[in-house]
Amino acid sequence: MVTQVRPVPVAAKAPRRRRDGRAAALYLAPAGVLLAALLAYPIYQLVLISLYDYGQPQAAGNAPLVFLGFANYTDLLSQAQFWTVLGKTVGFAAACVVGSLIVGTGLAVLASRVRSLPRMLLFLAALGAWSTPAIAGSYVWLFLFDTDFGLVNEVLSGLGLPFEHHSWTFGTLGAFGLVAAEVIWCSFPFVLVTMYAGIKGVPDEVLEAASLDGASAWRTTWTIVLPMVRPLLMIATVQSIIWDFKVFTQIYVMTNGGGVAGRNLVLNVYAYQQAFAGQEYGLGSAIGVVMTLLLLSVTGLYVRSQRRSAAWL
Amino acid sequence: MRLLPFVAALALLAGCAPTQSAPAGAGADDKTGTVRVWLFDEANRAPKEAAVKEAIAEFKAAHAGVEVDVQWVPVEGRADKFSGAFNDPANAPDVAEFGNTDVSGYAATGALADLTGDLASWNEGKDLIPTVLDTAKSGGKTYGLPWYTGVRALYYRTDVFTELGLKPPSTLAELTDDARKIRAAKPDLYGISVGGKYTYAMLPFLWANGGELAQQSDGKWKSAVTGEQAKAGVTQYANLLKDDICPPAQCANLTGTQSVTAFAGGKAGMTIGGDFNRKAVEQGAVKGKYAVVPLPGTTAGSVAPAFAGGNLLGVFNASKHRGLALEFIELLGGAKYQEKMYTAMGNLPTLSSVQQKLAASDPSLKPFVDTLQAGTKFVPATPAWSKIDSQNVLPTAVQQIATGGKDPSAALADAAAAMDKAFG
Amino acid sequence: MAVKRPGRLVAEIVTVVIAGIVAFPLYWMLLSAVKPPGEIQSADPKPWTFRPSLDSFERVLTVSGFGRFFLNSLLVALVVVVLSLLLSFLSAVALTRFAFKGRTVLLVMTLVAQMVPVEALTIPLFFLMRQIGGVVPAFGLNELGSLVLVHLAFSLPFAIWMLRGFVAAVPVELEEAAKLDGASRMRFTWQILFPLVAPGLVAVSVLAFIHAWNDFLFAKTFIISKTENQTLPQAILVFFKPEDTDWGAVMASSTLMTIPVLVFFVLVQRRLVSGMAGAVKG
Repeated sequence: MVTQVRPVPVAAKAPRRRRDGRAAALYLAPAGVLLAALLAYPIYQLVLISLYDYGQPQAAGNAPLVFLGFANYTDLLSQAQFWTVLGKTVGFAAACVVGSLIVGTGLAVLASRVRSLPRMLLFLAALGAWSTPAIAGSYVWLFLFDTDFGLVNEVLSGLGLPFEHHSWTFGTLGAFGLVAAEVIWCSFPFVLVTMYAGIKGVPDEVLEAASLDGASAWRTTWTIVLPMVRPLLMIATVQSIIWDFKVFTQIYVMTNGGGVAGRNLVLNVYAYQQAFAGQEYGLGSAIGVVMTLLLLSVTGLYVRSQRRSAAWL
Repeated sequence: MRLLPFVAALALLAGCAPTQSAPAGAGADDKTGTVRVWLFDEANRAPKEAAVKEAIAEFKAAHAGVEVDVQWVPVEGRADKFSGAFNDPANAPDVAEFGNTDVSGYAATGALADLTGDLASWNEGKDLIPTVLDTAKSGGKTYGLPWYTGVRALYYRTDVFTELGLKPPSTLAELTDDARKIRAAKPDLYGISVGGKYTYAMLPFLWANGGELAQQSDGKWKSAVTGEQAKAGVTQYANLLKDDICPPAQCANLTGTQSVTAFAGGKAGMTIGGDFNRKAVEQGAVKGKYAVVPLPGTTAGSVAPAFAGGNLLGVFNASKHRGLALEFIELLGGAKYQEKMYTAMGNLPTLSSVQQKLAASDPSLKPFVDTLQAGTKFVPATPAWSKIDSQNVLPTAVQQIATGGKDPSAALADAAAAMDKAFG
Repeated sequence: MAVKRPGRLVAEIVTVVIAGIVAFPLYWMLLSAVKPPGEIQSADPKPWTFRPSLDSFERVLTVSGFGRFFLNSLLVALVVVVLSLLLSFLSAVALTRFAFKGRTVLLVMTLVAQMVPVEALTIPLFFLMRQIGGVVPAFGLNELGSLVLVHLAFSLPFAIWMLRGFVAAVPVELEEAAKLDGASRMRFTWQILFPLVAPGLVAVSVLAFIHAWNDFLFAKTFIISKTENQTLPQAILVFFKPEDTDWGAVMASSTLMTIPVLVFFVLVQRRLVSGMAGAVKG
């Protein structure tokens, strides 16, 4: 059993007794002004627009504004397709988040065990994946998994498996699976970098003490290192939830705009097709507000469930 | 106290309205200055740019004190450029090129000038193909000068047809049979490569069977896809997306480009492609092994009405050089430069005299010109159409029928409901 | 960490194999960029080509204004990185170390700000930029300044959250010890705290860079009539012709877009290593 453990970062935050209001205001002012102007105000406008019938003619000043109240919202929530798409989005995002976390954290642990050359190679590859523009990554994966011209089908059928002309993007689950793989490919690097930084930040004394006590490397990782980096894991999870819920490009490109009969739609693509592509900003804003509230509840529930690590909040 | 933020928020919301742009404002008719022109960019812009530069030189020679500034707009990014111009008239150009499917939406913003009278009095205007000119209209007014057009016809593999002793189909039913025969004899080929998302290939089937997309009465549009003839047409197309011709697993989600790519790559016995696809097909594996005929109708010797795509040149209402802008588009859209654009880009001209002349000298154009002459149709000229298009209403219906998810009546009933909702 | 030799060798082999798998799509992208047009989408795809050509790269680099767009993107991305590091660090310190009313609310609000789907905000932001442009032209529509502002605004919330964790991990005792040694709060913040959160700063800067560099949505919304101010992603767009996409050029331009990000990381990676050493020693 480890006896002398450094205070976990969570407990290190003891609120100061002094009033720091003025210093805080000074430090926060630049960011605060920027965020108020460029985020708070547009979000306010967004909510406003969602209450009106607002399309391109209205934006251009060629048609009068018609106040609709909550009509955009009732319209949206009464469409059966909205609920189907919502369910699929939640499932898809969950798969992506879990996948990125497992792959990213696992590789972070692996990277902390090897020497610098293999680690650099891994990091370079990961960063390449991360920096590929979403459009390019989506098209490359699409080409690799193409039904007739794809390398994957050729290799698999060359090995004798029945993948000649297999369409990876036809079946609902298959298509979601393929896109999830691509999303995990380009989002695990973020988890990798974050968790690696956290693992590396664990003080040597703690690890030495653990190995002196006879704990194996695996056990040390599982019982000591990972709990210590929990706050970072939580940040990575919350970020992943937010990003993966809002996935657009990958689904749009790889399922050709939502799959056969729209069965691979996720909320952001649905919003685009139903509203933004036709310049119906009122409805689109309503969908945006609904998405934000949904994300807020999902992350809120998650943070609540992690109450211990959330103590720093 | 805790309610205070809430109350404040409600008060804010109640008292305010979303930002709007001020209306575009009246234009002017300056005879000097810089005429700003937006043209669509091409990946290989040089030929188009050269032809346009010639036109600009001629224009400047005829008008002293005038400059022409051309901006190249990528087609895939045009929506935001034009939105930016509509929402902030300071950004707007004098002249712009845009697709005929965008006409109604743009006209609804009030930003485009009504050119009906101007085109009527244009000396070359009489030569414009009437059905093509119709695609430039919205609410009875013309908002653009048709610059070039594009139609689709039937590409087929001459080697496969010869081998199987087939002749190019003369009816749509024959086309379906031929496609089945091809796939039966050569299982690794699609009988014909078409897709669930290839709406512009589906529309000729709908129209050839006598159906319509929508009818207008008293200024209000109503969907007509639930009609018997429309249903027959859509079903006939969806039946091509079956395992014995083009399996849904591969074809249900194909777009036009992807269908043509499959054909160009040697994966299909036939496809429906445009005059603008010829270059890509020439570069593919089927070079020298294909030919083109007009897509047949339901009776022998007829041609299925094709969708008349195309681009127009329009003038912005807020333009400060209205007269100059008009003269510029009449120059660029005139016979001389339409011919130069054909040589540069392969675009089909919209003036029938130029078309005939070019068809005579380039036999590969003949099937497309024939298709045009046989009569083309267009989508409902209302801003709601772009909404229906982006909501994928028709592809969804086709895909439901093709995959067996819904029977034709149900699928088209859903489509009609969505269309009527968009029409308002 | 004491790891048994053969165990580590196996781990290293696994690492390299995984690195290869992760990098394969990138290799495919580069390969497609050098393949001649007929081979990119052919019935017989091969993970090599016997006729590599730089034609696609040539088509990309000769796109009118490519160099200019590249510099625009680079300028915007670098300015955004520097400013977001500064502003987010200050805010993270304030939100972590200082006690004041409404702290939690602000923190939650920054989180909410990230949840709004960005497409929905383009119209309000368009009009906002137009109004800002009336006051400060350099930050208005059609200017790169508008892109800097908006990318900064959208990367700050995450940056603040990220740095919070790192700042919170630095023990309070350290600051107290520094105070005892006579260091002012300012001095402590910049000379001691800032280097200690270096890994966090690296993560933030990489993310801000990628976010600004790859952005397409705001560039196409704000830069309308001054095409000389367009950014790199817009240059790729021209190759996506609806009926005839130039895949070779798409892949070539995507490759060219990926390289600076990799370079940026490699440059920053060294700081990460030294920063970590500092953090561990502390």
